[in-house]
Amino acid sequence: MERADLRAAAGMAVVRLENVGKSYAPGAEILHDVSLALEPGEFCFVTGASGAGKTTLLKLLCLAELASKGVVTLFDTETAGLSRAGRAALRRRIGVVFQDFRLIDEISVAENVALPLRVAGTPEAEIREHVAALLQWLGLEKQSKTLPTALSSGDKQRVAIARALVSRPDLLIADEPTGHVDDETALLLVRVFERVNRLGTTVLIATRDAGFASQFDRRRFRLDEGTLRSVEAATQ
Amino acid sequence: MIRMRFRTDRPRLPLARRVSVWFLPWAALAVYLAGLGGVGFVALGDSMRSWDASLAQRASLQIPADASPARLNTVLALLRQTSGIADVRLLDPSETARLVEPWLGRSVAIERLPVPRLIDLRVDGSGKADFADLRQKLTSILPDGVLDEHGLLLAEWHRAATRIMGAIAAIIAAVFLAALWSAAATARTALLLDRPLVELLHLLGATNADIARPFEIRALSLGLLGGATGALAAALTLLALGSAGPAFSWPAPLGIAGMDDWRIWAILLGSTLIVGVVATGAARATVLRRLAHLP
Repeated sequence: MERADLRAAAGMAVVRLENVGKSYAPGAEILHDVSLALEPGEFCFVTGASGAGKTTLLKLLCLAELASKGVVTLFDTETAGLSRAGRAALRRRIGVVFQDFRLIDEISVAENVALPLRVAGTPEAEIREHVAALLQWLGLEKQSKTLPTALSSGDKQRVAIARALVSRPDLLIADEPTGHVDDETALLLVRVFERVNRLGTTVLIATRDAGFASQFDRRRFRLDEGTLRSVEAATQ
Repeated sequence: MIRMRFRTDRPRLPLARRVSVWFLPWAALAVYLAGLGGVGFVALGDSMRSWDASLAQRASLQIPADASPARLNTVLALLRQTSGIADVRLLDPSETARLVEPWLGRSVAIERLPVPRLIDLRVDGSGKADFADLRQKLTSILPDGVLDEHGLLLAEWHRAATRIMGAIAAIIAAVFLAALWSAAATARTALLLDRPLVELLHLLGATNADIARPFEIRALSLGLLGGATGALAAALTLLALGSAGPAFSWPAPLGIAGMDDWRIWAILLGSTLIVGVVATGAARATVLRRLAHLP
């Protein structure tokens, strides 16, 4: 059995949000009473217009922000009461593709991709091996020594995806991962996420393009002005 | 239940690569000043102990050169009978000549000069010696005699030396505080340059200790390197002072045996280590304070 199947059999949710709210100032709630759960091995989309709260939702899931209200549970662990070291341990299980890539311009593509492995304390030889294999898989092997400033937006996107995948996370969160590429490349990128998903990683993709998300037979959450309006289940 | 990712190695994060080397001269200056100050502090302490040992139980009486031998003998007899005085010794002319040699030189025939005779007195330490009473009795026998109680002079020297040692300690503390401030400023600048990477590594699951460690290592290496340079400069300065001739020769008058005194090297090494530790602590505190703002 895959690790995702094992966790699903044990009734474990990778993500569970219960009545979660997020506000940065009193009376201005970005997210309102959001409840959802992701099962191990799921592949889901979050859709919604700009400002609907998709990015804020993803920030709560990758522990870049803490919820103002409600309960955020990751890997069956309530995040609110966790120590800083405990939150860091959870973050190491999550891969994130940021909307603005967050590549470090002063270090090479390979070094950028290697960062999660360095954080995990992986031996140097293993880092080199994994990074080289992943860059080759994503067609980035020729750019491995290039600085991110010299890359196109599409290549930066792929580097950001490589960095999110390199440590084989249990949960992959991608914020508008197809926002900087043409339709054909966007489809290819989703195929990459699907392959990773088949290896057991739970995947959640946020996109404002509801039409694009509807091409795939996957569960879709729709956010509207910070509220979860609908959930469309996959047909299979 | 959290499944902790097994960490096979200590993370080596590409942080603190652009730390300014401006902390180096600060560290060197701090150790140079602290080293010289520390040596001065120890030397003064040694001197005080040496003065105590040689002068605390001593007094001297100057007899005018024209005093008759009979008067001199009367005075000696009085001193030997005085309770609390353990030993009375009349210095012979050659000893007196040696004492005045620094002022008059060797070529002067001292026997032709009206140099007073000196009587060295050793007090027994019981506290019975009543110098006021003795002074009164001496006045009737030898009105021009001068009784010097070294204990009083010593107390004055003690007060002055203690004030100087206090000032040296304050300067050393200020030097280390300046090093602390400088190390913190260097770490703040480095952190500012690495801010995007620090925030990213935090999101990737790096712990505070993982992120702080490269800054600490860099601060420690800069502190030790700068400190070693300052210690070397201080050692060279002390060597130069020691070989600059009697006018600047510090070891003999201040009671330190010279550069082979282990305490000098302990002070220089200790100052270097303190600057290294201060720099490391400042870097760690600066990074952790910044990380405390992140969730």
